[in-house]
Amino acid sequence: MKHGGVTKFSIQNLLGPIIVLILLTHFVGGASTSLQLVTQMALCLFVMVLALQVFVGNSGVLSFGHGAFALIGSYVSAILTAPVNIKDNALSMNQLWEPLVSPQVNIYVALVISAAVSGLIAAITGIFLMRLNGLAAGIATFALLGVAYNVFFNNKKIGPGSQALPGVPLIDNNWILLLLAVLSLILVYFINISRIGRTLRATREDAMAAPALGISIFKVRLIAFIISGAVAGLSGGMYSHVAGTFQVQDYYLEFTFITLSMLIVGGSASIWGALVGTFLITAVGQVLLMMEQDLPVFGIQVQIPLGSRAVIIALTFVAVLLWRSGGITNGKEFRIPKLKKIS
Amino acid sequence: MVQSILDAISLGGLYSLAALGLGLVFGVMRLVNFAHAELITIAAYTLVLTAQFPLAVSLLFTVIVTVFVALLMEFSVYRRLRGVNPAIMLIASFGLSTVLQRVYELMFGALPRSAVVAPFLRGDFKVAGLSITISSIITIVLTIVILLAMGYLIEKTSLGLQLRAASADFKTARLLGVRSNRLISAAFGLSGVLAACVALILVIQNPQISPYYGLNITILSLVGIVIGGIASLRGAALGGFIVGVVLSSLNTLLGNGRVYAYSWLFILVLVILLVRPGGLLSKGSELERV
Repeated sequence: MKHGGVTKFSIQNLLGPIIVLILLTHFVGGASTSLQLVTQMALCLFVMVLALQVFVGNSGVLSFGHGAFALIGSYVSAILTAPVNIKDNALSMNQLWEPLVSPQVNIYVALVISAAVSGLIAAITGIFLMRLNGLAAGIATFALLGVAYNVFFNNKKIGPGSQALPGVPLIDNNWILLLLAVLSLILVYFINISRIGRTLRATREDAMAAPALGISIFKVRLIAFIISGAVAGLSGGMYSHVAGTFQVQDYYLEFTFITLSMLIVGGSASIWGALVGTFLITAVGQVLLMMEQDLPVFGIQVQIPLGSRAVIIALTFVAVLLWRSGGITNGKEFRIPKLKKIS
Repeated sequence: MVQSILDAISLGGLYSLAALGLGLVFGVMRLVNFAHAELITIAAYTLVLTAQFPLAVSLLFTVIVTVFVALLMEFSVYRRLRGVNPAIMLIASFGLSTVLQRVYELMFGALPRSAVVAPFLRGDFKVAGLSITISSIITIVLTIVILLAMGYLIEKTSLGLQLRAASADFKTARLLGVRSNRLISAAFGLSGVLAACVALILVIQNPQISPYYGLNITILSLVGIVIGGIASLRGAALGGFIVGVVLSSLNTLLGNGRVYAYSWLFILVLVILLVRPGGLLSKGSELERV
């Protein structure tokens, strides 16, 4: 069975998605205030889906635990940048732990720290988790998410608990978010074509033959897991600076399913798939939302019943899997379509 | 104390029933059917919405509806996905689960529906000065009866033999004359029946039905079948039982710290998986990609 994945550097594979991202950010992100927010959130989600791609796409091991890294990244970035008076006032009744109230760092420093902390936690947990295979690995990563969610939801000493932490400073600039997304994309692309990416795909294709070639499944998976955890942490951090809040509930089951579906719908074996999946699902969701609110879409006014949006998105998702189990791109990277010669 | 032990056993039994429903389908087609949650939910809705009829009628109706939805899942989605990567099937089942949740929300509303189901099973009675809730006893009795029936079905009947054969080696089972479509449909049907049983017990304890009613128990049973050993139905039932007992005991033992019960449970799950990656009842390790 071939699941795809590139091994050779190709400029069109790398530049194609970047150009598409720039065009989307320019034309959609600049169209209106509401579309700007949608684009910004999509860019954050895209970074998250890239994080999933580098690990899940290459290793073939499903991870339900990346929500934990996004949660931690989002938390770290939010707690480091939210104004002292907000942390002091809004959370005083929750007895936020004293040393967490005063720190104040620059947004971009905070983002670097959030990626580093998430990467570190991925490293520590990965030492245990990466020994597992198949469904056991999936459930174990889910257990990680379960613990992170449970602790952050209930512990009011370290964070806002079940409430939201407001006042997180915004990155109100599409181009900075785009830059972060492009940097993540380049990182993930080079991991994918590197030795790590290739050996990881070898373990995905045949978990028996790969060790016979001298590949340590544990080692390559761990490295990918750490990188992937750090990128997921960055995406969480970006999201808290787009939404302006940190809330634990944003990173649980729904988040996990939607980001995994974006990856699988697009095609998990390529970054082009990650891009197609993220922006397609976001676009379909946005168009249906406008239809629910009876707003014109491209000048055409179609109204659909309230609440039917989520049904249609989920149905589309199932339909794509039935139609193409490899995702829309079937795991292929971007390439310029060749014109067929007419003879 | 006695009540706590009974609660733990009854929760364990309940989870083992849910785990068995998941395990049956997993055995024949390597599918982790996450949408099993929605079978439990539709069964619970049916029970509550038909509460004005006699319990037997309401139950019969519930079983029919649930089995119908289970077969619908198989015919409309899973049959077309047979043979693809198990990870894709799992993700498809998430999608299906979301579709059904939203359909329930459109049909029954987002607010919980409730009704009194089987009122004679509520309340408590006294034995030797101890007060014991009827529902915990009923749950234990029902679970034992259902588990025995399932045990009989799987160990003694031709269908059970085919299910076990298909779990062990689907291809060979087909070569030896097991009809795959019929068998998989039967597994889905049975998992529907089990979901209806689980729903009955759940509804007696908590009759507030929302579109996400079956989600929690399904996630935890999923954890259960993995720690018990997905390769066998016994492992699935055992794992579900362990998760239920542990969760119930943690809730009793932790006192004020019970909000962290899930964390301790998940940490225990991680430890079990690290010690025995194939589950408690596994025989040696087998590499499988999901």
